[in-house]
Amino acid sequence: MKQVLWFALAFSYATADAQVPYERIAGADSEPSTWVTYSGNYQAQRFSLLSQINRQNVSQLKPTWVYQMRNPGIVETSPIVAEGVMYITEPPSTATALDVRTGRPLWTYTPSIPSDVIIIGSPPVNRGVAILDNTVFLGTVNCHLIALDAKTGIVRWDIVVDDNKKGYYITAAPLAINGKLIIGVSGAETGIRGFIDAYDPKTGKRLWRTWTVPGKGEPGAESWGGDSAVHGGGSTWVTGSYDPELNLIYWGTGNPAPDWNDDTRPGDNLYTCSLVALDANTGKIKWHFQFTPHDVHDWDATEVPILFNAQVNGRARKIVSMANRNGFFYVLDRQTGEFLSATPYIKQNWTDGIDAKGRPFARRDADPKVAGTLVYPAIAGGANWYSPSYSPTTGLFYQAAREMGGVYFKGDAEYKDGTAYTGGGGEGKNGDDAYGAIRALEGTTGKLRWEFRLVTPPMAGVLSTAGGLVFAGAEEGNFFALDAGNGKPLWELQLGAAIRASAMSFAMDGKQQVAIAAGSSLFVFGLP
Amino acid sequence: MLLRQWVAALILIAVGAFTVSAQNAGEVEKGRQLFLGMCSRCHGAEGGGGEGPSLTRLTRAHNDEELSAIIRNGIPDRGMPRIRRFSDAELGQMVGFVHSLGGAAGGAITGKPENGRALYQRLGCQSCHIVAGEGGDFGPELTTIGARRAPDYLRQSITDPGAALPRGAPVPGRGFNEFLPVKVVTGDGREVNGVRVNEDSFTIQVKDAGNKLYSFRKADVKQLDKLFGKSMMPDYKARVSAAELEDVVAYLSGLGSGPGDSK
Repeated sequence: MKQVLWFALAFSYATADAQVPYERIAGADSEPSTWVTYSGNYQAQRFSLLSQINRQNVSQLKPTWVYQMRNPGIVETSPIVAEGVMYITEPPSTATALDVRTGRPLWTYTPSIPSDVIIIGSPPVNRGVAILDNTVFLGTVNCHLIALDAKTGIVRWDIVVDDNKKGYYITAAPLAINGKLIIGVSGAETGIRGFIDAYDPKTGKRLWRTWTVPGKGEPGAESWGGDSAVHGGGSTWVTGSYDPELNLIYWGTGNPAPDWNDDTRPGDNLYTCSLVALDANTGKIKWHFQFTPHDVHDWDATEVPILFNAQVNGRARKIVSMANRNGFFYVLDRQTGEFLSATPYIKQNWTDGIDAKGRPFARRDADPKVAGTLVYPAIAGGANWYSPSYSPTTGLFYQAAREMGGVYFKGDAEYKDGTAYTGGGGEGKNGDDAYGAIRALEGTTGKLRWEFRLVTPPMAGVLSTAGGLVFAGAEEGNFFALDAGNGKPLWELQLGAAIRASAMSFAMDGKQQVAIAAGSSLFVFGLP
Repeated sequence: MLLRQWVAALILIAVGAFTVSAQNAGEVEKGRQLFLGMCSRCHGAEGGGGEGPSLTRLTRAHNDEELSAIIRNGIPDRGMPRIRRFSDAELGQMVGFVHSLGGAAGGAITGKPENGRALYQRLGCQSCHIVAGEGGDFGPELTTIGARRAPDYLRQSITDPGAALPRGAPVPGRGFNEFLPVKVVTGDGREVNGVRVNEDSFTIQVKDAGNKLYSFRKADVKQLDKLFGKSMMPDYKARVSAAELEDVVAYLSGLGSGPGDSK
């Protein structure tokens, strides 16, 4: 009898244990009331299948609740919602669970961050957690990866991904797949050697590491002059996408180091500023595509790669697409990496075009100089870390586009552990000289279908929905909804501080909600 | 990697103590190149000033360390951005170059400030500008303008005010032109002419010459023209003689530039 009872208890525990198993993430589109991975689904489409909030009623949208962060700092978090709980991150590396009905905190976990933590290249931000089974995963600015019990926030394990003293740190949300947790790192501005890691979600044991910059004698090593690859950069700081059928992980890589002084690194500098497709079992690079060979402008390819299937020139294709920081919208075959097209989606003057294989004709007169070189786009690029969206309903790729030129300077670069190894810098032509837009591009061609203008280049992502809406945010604090078909504004609210996050959507008690961070607050909106 | 535009430059940790004495000409020349790229837009190619103050006579930095600190940290309330991307060596070169500046670039002051002050009153400048708490508030405050703008810039702002609108105050936003003239035609055909106080993608706030504040939703207006290259300030080119102009410039240059001459 006792044994039976124990068995029953163990069984019920096991059932409760699997809150968000892999199968639920893989089937995210069949359960649109939740949001169980960074970009909503493995294809990274940031598209909600909920249509309760739609073109007809979005004008009635009202705040449901607001949560205010404990610490000051830029909030880039993209919430996860499952089982009545919203999981967010707060700057710099805090994870917090909120009651999705009220916004009241259920638990919060702040790791101990040493005061001499090295964060060079970005503000101390975090873009969100991953969830798998009953565990929430958090990357930190001192380059730890931490597993927290989803119900209590208690630490299950805490491991060092790499040495923060060398400049490695984490701002990205991990990606949870079947039996693996994938994470990328920041730190190219200190001359790290970048990588993408996979860990066992149960134990924190590393399963594989794939370097984004080859070692001596490895393929790609010939694309670096001398020993320059040793501190070659190529960080991996934005969450990628995943195709379960092909079992391939798609992940963007960052700039070569030093950023603006290329004297020591002649060559293409593989695999920086690239998209790599990794075998999820082994981490082996199945193919790579380099958007910006020998980058000298700090145009990381750490934008979200979106997967979708479509006909291209009469042929069914599995596509991976990216609006790259360098100003071009790329369409690739995600099985093979074959280049299909690249179309500028903003003003650019660093290249005379793209060849048939996808390689740019880079203009060397656009290289940084000591006295400065004006180039379009500016350092932050036409796009950046913030999410684009793809709507399977409209077939459109929605991108928050930055129209800004910048003056690029070349400076000294000397490698020292944990210090800036950038060799220059830049200054954006901001203010009235710049602007932004939410642009709808045809997913298979990059052709502009419509745009909605913004007074300032945005640093906030886009969400599209089955309700025929596109939600986006502005630097001045406007959160707004556009008609996904024609870009007409349908609703707007001033949130009082810059929006530097990407919206997501979920439902509670049968009512659709849209969440977005602005300033130091997280806002949730629904219909009255 | 990311967000350079927002943090102005790299967040550098642990800037160690450094010694600056870029004595040799080569170092100063390197400093000049850096200066041309990063600083000349506001301070002029020869450091004589313009939109930013002249650097031929440093009023805030009394030694190398103070000058280095200003370059590293900026002067946020005066529109001077911080420049954190320099290596210690580059910072030393920059400091060396700034110290090498001299002479009267940026425009000499030849007028008589006391005459200029009287003329300022007679021309009615105080109806739009506040100096030391007194005057109208339609235009920029001038209490410390002499410490922030070089004589050439002041001269130009009197004779051709639209050529260089002030920039860089926290409102309406980093790098935006302030006092930008706008023309708004409302849905019911009313025309409002004034300057932009603030703007976002959906709304604009405007004040007119009578200092009345308007707030418009862009969706509701028929027409919105931003008049770049223009100023609401009248052009005084034909209204003052060359000598009078120099007197006003001398008066304005003295505002805020030292103790006892701020009025």
